[in-house]
Amino acid sequence: MRFFAAAMLMGLLAHAGSAQSPVSNQKFVVVLDAAHGGDDSGGQVGASGGGTAVSEKTMTLALSVRLRSLLTARGFTVVTTREGNVNVTADARAQIVNHGTAATNGSSACLSLHASASGSGVHIFVSSLAPALPARFLPWKTAQSAYIDRSLRLAGIVNSALEHTSVAGGGSVNGAEAGTVGTGTGPIPATLGRATLPGVDSMTCPAVAIEMAPIRGADRKVVTDVTDPAYQTQLVEALAAAMLEWKTDLETDSPRAGGSQP
Amino acid sequence: MIPRYQKIVVLVLLVLSIGMATVLVRLRERAHDRLLKGEDLAPTTAPAVAPAEPATLLIANDMDGGMVTETQSLPLPKDGEARARALVEKLLEMYAEPGANHPVPGVPRAVLQVFLLPEPESKAPLSPSGGQLAVVNLAGGFADGHPSGILTEALTIESICGTLHANLPQIAEVRFLVDGQPRATLAGHADLTRTYLTADLSQPPGTANPN
Repeated sequence: MRFFAAAMLMGLLAHAGSAQSPVSNQKFVVVLDAAHGGDDSGGQVGASGGGTAVSEKTMTLALSVRLRSLLTARGFTVVTTREGNVNVTADARAQIVNHGTAATNGSSACLSLHASASGSGVHIFVSSLAPALPARFLPWKTAQSAYIDRSLRLAGIVNSALEHTSVAGGGSVNGAEAGTVGTGTGPIPATLGRATLPGVDSMTCPAVAIEMAPIRGADRKVVTDVTDPAYQTQLVEALAAAMLEWKTDLETDSPRAGGSQP
Repeated sequence: MIPRYQKIVVLVLLVLSIGMATVLVRLRERAHDRLLKGEDLAPTTAPAVAPAEPATLLIANDMDGGMVTETQSLPLPKDGEARARALVEKLLEMYAEPGANHPVPGVPRAVLQVFLLPEPESKAPLSPSGGQLAVVNLAGGFADGHPSGILTEALTIESICGTLHANLPQIAEVRFLVDGQPRATLAGHADLTRTYLTADLSQPPGTANPN
């Protein structure tokens, strides 16, 4: 009986401790979703600057692997939606993300990685669903609507990280030094937007889609293509920095992070 | 010796054959006359071209993810569906031009049809002014040749929706078909299974940061 009472007391104390800082004591999970895969090759990228074309599925997987290594080295728990060239449907991706982040109480992030030959710089997209109040049960197709506010905050942090990044190496395309025109001395040009994103719309965590595109000069010619190793390094380091910032943001703002969890 | 009744039958059949041949010849002559008369009624001058009128096009820009409004003078049909199709065709022709800010390979007849339907009754309270649902049927060649990417596909979709709404304000919703069939995405990213609300398109899909 005395042992049972002591155990109850220990449990209550532990619960009180976790209630004071719900985020810092919880596992912070980053889910990396390498878009496409298997039969779905996505688009062709890398040929805009005169290089060899690479399928989008290959590019996104390479980015996912590099980013996973960086995040793991920084102590993050990382979940990936695919580790190889396999078919994963949009619903299956959302299931993996939702299972991976289920116990985090909002202390998580999902980055859906894409690549494109169109546009310039990095495009950051948040679901175009209208924000909705959290609920215990959410419609599958619009589950992300309860997380739109936090996804927008996450997109802002990613955008800020890209603005503060700097060129990592000396890659070049068509003889131009990486980052000398499109990126200046460092920042990657970024575009923030909203779009309907199958898969992301069903995710129950803060989620953004990151689309890597060639960096173009004022004359619209490609200065740095997506296959440039320095550009890729710059991007994954900026994303890793953004995840650190996001985690810190949640830890210092834990009532908001945990409070709106359905 | 041929019996008499057989002679009568042969004679009757001969008379009937001659009579039927005469009727057929007359019918043929009358059909020929009708054709000649029809040719005389065919127009000898080209049909009048619709007068040019200002039309608003929302032109996408891949560089900044934005859209600019451009007013052009176009000969547009009076019929709503034909008018909507002509507008979207013109928009896609501009994207196919060399040096376009939103390059999309062009195909002949990229827009097969545009249907304008009354909005479903369940949504009537949202648009009491009698909004319409536009169903845009794109050619498979256009969708297959569209560049792949979230930004470029979203810009195409939203510039079509925005152009339709700017010129035909009664269009409140837009749906897309490809070769008359539903299709999951335009080129791997933009969802074509959903209904796009033109009221949501006040903001373009992308906004560039100041870099």
